[in-house]
Amino acid sequence: MPGFLASYGVASPGVLWLLPLALLPLVASGRRRKAVPAIAAAPDDPLSRWIGLVLTLAGIAALGGLLVGLSGPYRVGERITRIGIGAQVSMLIDRSGSMNETFAGKQPSGAEESKAAASRRLLSGFVGERAHDLFAVTAFSTAPMLVLPMTDRHDAVRAAIAAIDRPGLDYTNVARGLAMALSQFGSDQGISRVLLFISDGAAVIDPRVQDQLRAAFAKVRPNLYWLFLRTKGSPSIHDRPEGEDTPQAAPERHLDLFFKSLTIPYRAFEAEGPQAVADAIAQIEALERDPIPYTEIRPRHDLGGWAYGVAALGLLLLALAALAEADVSARRAARRVAAAEPLRRAA
Amino acid sequence: MTGGPPSAEIVYLPRWRPRGSRPGAHRGRDAGGLGTFRASVPFLSLPDARRIDLRATLRDPFEGVHVRRFETRVPVEIYALVDLSASMRYRGEADRMALAAELCAGLAASATRIGDGFGLIAADRAIRGDLTLLATRHRSAALTLAGKLAGASCREGSAEGMIEGAHRLLGRPKMVFVVSDFRWPADLIRRVFDALALHDTVPVLLADSAEDVGLPDWGLAELEDLEGAGRRLVFLRPSLRRRWIARERERREALATAAAASGARRPFALIDRFDAQALSRHLLTG
Repeated sequence: MPGFLASYGVASPGVLWLLPLALLPLVASGRRRKAVPAIAAAPDDPLSRWIGLVLTLAGIAALGGLLVGLSGPYRVGERITRIGIGAQVSMLIDRSGSMNETFAGKQPSGAEESKAAASRRLLSGFVGERAHDLFAVTAFSTAPMLVLPMTDRHDAVRAAIAAIDRPGLDYTNVARGLAMALSQFGSDQGISRVLLFISDGAAVIDPRVQDQLRAAFAKVRPNLYWLFLRTKGSPSIHDRPEGEDTPQAAPERHLDLFFKSLTIPYRAFEAEGPQAVADAIAQIEALERDPIPYTEIRPRHDLGGWAYGVAALGLLLLALAALAEADVSARRAARRVAAAEPLRRAA
Repeated sequence: MTGGPPSAEIVYLPRWRPRGSRPGAHRGRDAGGLGTFRASVPFLSLPDARRIDLRATLRDPFEGVHVRRFETRVPVEIYALVDLSASMRYRGEADRMALAAELCAGLAASATRIGDGFGLIAADRAIRGDLTLLATRHRSAALTLAGKLAGASCREGSAEGMIEGAHRLLGRPKMVFVVSDFRWPADLIRRVFDALALHDTVPVLLADSAEDVGLPDWGLAELEDLEGAGRRLVFLRPSLRRRWIARERERREALATAAAASGARRPFALIDRFDAQALSRHLLTG
């Protein structure tokens, strides 16, 4: 009960001191009273008793409702934690200059869309799909950029995604981007975490930084999805270079190998066109179906209308009762006049 | 009509033959020298030389002397035993206490006019000394007190004092008018009538048409008990009104039964208006 009451409040509590007045209908009524020699003369009547009870309650409701309405009741705003289906998704999006090109590796012209525009279109669809997903958006080029921390405001997430087809900046520095994307996850336990890494290329990760990343991945343990937007003609992540197999020669392949060595669930999607991107995103969506707690924010809600509504209902009933009141004295006066008429005529 | 003297007098006839030596208006039990002729009796049984019946004496072949015997006419005492419980404060078509006062004034005038004594005992929870008068033949005293009755205050919620009042009426039989609305517990009604069994008791039921037949067919009415039994809301409708009237009729029948059980007369219902002729008819025929 205290917990229930705690979520309600009033604007001016002083008025509530008058609330005992609402019990007034129990001891008095505003109706005209007809004095009778013995109340036992009236036969016992359940219907009358019910009407009496209802009118008493209506009186209490009218007074109580008005007083509560005057005190300005409201339900306090609160955050409610619920369980829904979804995941914490941290998106790491490549903002390097090459993202502005089409999948064919050219500057977009006419109906063609750049890799950034395609991923924007598809990702924004992904965001609207499930109500209880949490998203964080991180972009990176030379340096990582925190675009949006973990949030359930999907409009903000969509706006952040809408901004990723702005002309890209510099080069690709994966390691620092990954570190920041990992830091976006909160400390909640038992939630499915998804790190969605979207890039069109890779870079060498310094072996020292590799260890730090390994530790971070081991701590957070996200499901890692790499959406590799492959430009036509560029090497695939599975291609072995013809010359020496060093990270410098084939950074994509070695990043893939690095991810595979992390002992976390990992999948790489190699997309060579918008349709492939869409398929990859649909797959990710289907894979990540776990319960997730989410908070819902209820704003402060004014309950004055309800209080006045209850009072109005009570007053309506009382007004109807007043209209239905039997006018005993008027009848009597009329009859007396009628009785006096013949006498006056005789006089 | 309340203020002035009653237009018609109440004619009453005691049920019993009163004793007494004072001359009055009613046929007494004892035979005496004055009054209406009753019989001729031998001189030896009534040695009253002043009343020798010459004609009967001469007619007697055995030459006995006969004396005329007359019925004495003696007065009786009329008492009004008035209930002053709070329910008597009721005002419907008429003011109930005004009706009671009018009745008592009528009785006082009619009684004192023919030489009967009129007494008044008013009681609520106990006897009300200020409104109690032993039987008197003083017309003005009786009328004054009966007039005071109209302004009497009725506050108590009980009429237990009626029993005490009945016990105060000891001695010779009297004619007692029990003036009340009889909104009493059945037990009290029985005890009061039992206490008055010796007397010629006339219950006068003060009723009001606003209490039953005058009720409206439809409507809400908040009833408040004058004796403090609370208030109640009733939703009047034809079926309830019928039940209500039937209940009132039952109550009157129960009162008549209780009265008859103790040898009292049939109750006279004084409804809305005091009609001396109606009461006289009731008293002569009932």
